[in-house]
Amino acid sequence: MLCEKCNKNEATFFYHENVNGQVRNYKLCADCANELQKNGELNIKDFTSSPFDSIGKFFANPFKSMDKLFSGVFGETPSLLSSISSGRPAAKCDCGMTLNDFLENGMAGCPSCYETFENDIEPTVKRIHGKTVHEGHSPARFREKNDLKKQIEKLEKERTDAVSSENYEKAAEIRDKINELKNQLKGE
Amino acid sequence: MWFGNKGNDNDVAVSTRVRIARNLSGYPFPGRLSAEQEKEICSKVAEIYKGKEWKINDLSKLSKAERESLADKHIISRELAEKEGMSEYISNKAGDVNIMLLEEDHVRIQAIEPGFNVKTAMEKAYKAEEILDKNAEIAYSEKYGYLTHCPTNLGTAIRISVMLHLPSYTRAGQIRELALQLAKLGLTIRGEDGEGSSASAYLYQISNQITLGVSEDEIVERIEKIIGQIIEGERSMHEKLAESSKSAIRESARRKYGMLMYSESISSKELTSYYSDLRLAAASGLIKLPVEKLDELMIRSKPYTIEAEHKNTSSPEERDRARAALVREIIGNAEI
Ligand SMILES: [Zn+2]
Ligand SMILES: [Zn+2]
Repeated sequence: MLCEKCNKNEATFFYHENVNGQVRNYKLCADCANELQKNGELNIKDFTSSPFDSIGKFFANPFKSMDKLFSGVFGETPSLLSSISSGRPAAKCDCGMTLNDFLENGMAGCPSCYETFENDIEPTVKRIHGKTVHEGHSPARFREKNDLKKQIEKLEKERTDAVSSENYEKAAEIRDKINELKNQLKGE
Repeated sequence: MWFGNKGNDNDVAVSTRVRIARNLSGYPFPGRLSAEQEKEICSKVAEIYKGKEWKINDLSKLSKAERESLADKHIISRELAEKEGMSEYISNKAGDVNIMLLEEDHVRIQAIEPGFNVKTAMEKAYKAEEILDKNAEIAYSEKYGYLTHCPTNLGTAIRISVMLHLPSYTRAGQIRELALQLAKLGLTIRGEDGEGSSASAYLYQISNQITLGVSEDEIVERIEKIIGQIIEGERSMHEKLAESSKSAIRESARRKYGMLMYSESISSKELTSYYSDLRLAAASGLIKLPVEKLDELMIRSKPYTIEAEHKNTSSPEERDRARAALVREIIGNAEI
């Protein structure tokens, strides 16, 4: 397939344009495509010899652009900032990180920062993820705790049932089991 | 190694990567660690991943080219390859699970599979994660989930990235539209490696952007569904193209293959510009060339990787000659 402009080089650019319902298809070589774009006859932002030249600016580093968004909490909406840090402008984590620094850098200083500033950073977390509470896996030490809690809940239901059917012996047995599990939970 | 091997939906999908970020309780995040603490974390984690299955690799003992080559192969990140001071990664025997230490987070576990295979990559990564969980106190809060250096990774702290070859979407001018649609669904698309090379290979990485408030299973489900659709879209355009301009594409691909075979010297740019057309023709079944071999060629012909794997290749001219030899070695005996 030859370039439709110069009819010499092989066409490597296939560009489909739809302007107000007017459809045009281009078949061009790299040189002609570049030339047309330079003259402004062709606006191939989405498709140049390197799609990343244009697109890459947005997506080259989503983390970086996220960071900017994050620190943008400051620049764009000072009212939000003042509500975030009202009363605790210099709140400090044990690691030395202040709330101010955390929000400005967009990076935490240590894992405990998230506990220290848990409520202060909530609007920012919501801005990034759209949600503020984790769902999904947890470390084994939390899973065991959750399992115990669930087991206790289940037994408590069984005990209520046993009491209402006047099976007091069984209810007492279940109560002992519940106490045992509760002690385990405390011991963790 | 993941490349050079067949994978699911290989006609469009190059590779699938899962990355899990984890941090140890009681230490500041990297960048705020003392040299003492860096050492402590490295030896702690190394102690956990001991035994025949695992190998500790000290990056500070490698040359610049060797480190960058590991990033070319997606074994470690570019950031870790270029990090100064203490830097290590732990790899499994098969080389498909790699654990980076002291990158942006204390520990980043990566699993990589050829083609589109989220399930296998997830399984392998989480198998390695369980070992860490069993033997270390991982930083976690019931509200924010796994605690990470950057709040953009909170929650599950997983990033699933699938690399796709999208020549048809690109030529149709659809990438920006795709990016807008994906953003609405909590996914992002970017150029391969986040690098803009002047001659594009039309490779893109699609990843989940949101990590908090969605479970691992939901993230996997969403990625599988949406990327499945993109693969279908690209594939249907391949089919149309193969119907409408079969002989033109085959002719062009065969000429390019011939040029590559008989060249004594090939620049990285030139090879990249041929890659996409050859891959498209191969994926559409118009020439008999295994796409996974083309993908392997793309990685092993990168400048740093050539320098790391071939003698006397410190100048661009020498590398271009080595690249021509590599082309013949990897795809030279195909009967296209
Ligand atoms: Zn032309
Ligand atoms: Zn802190």
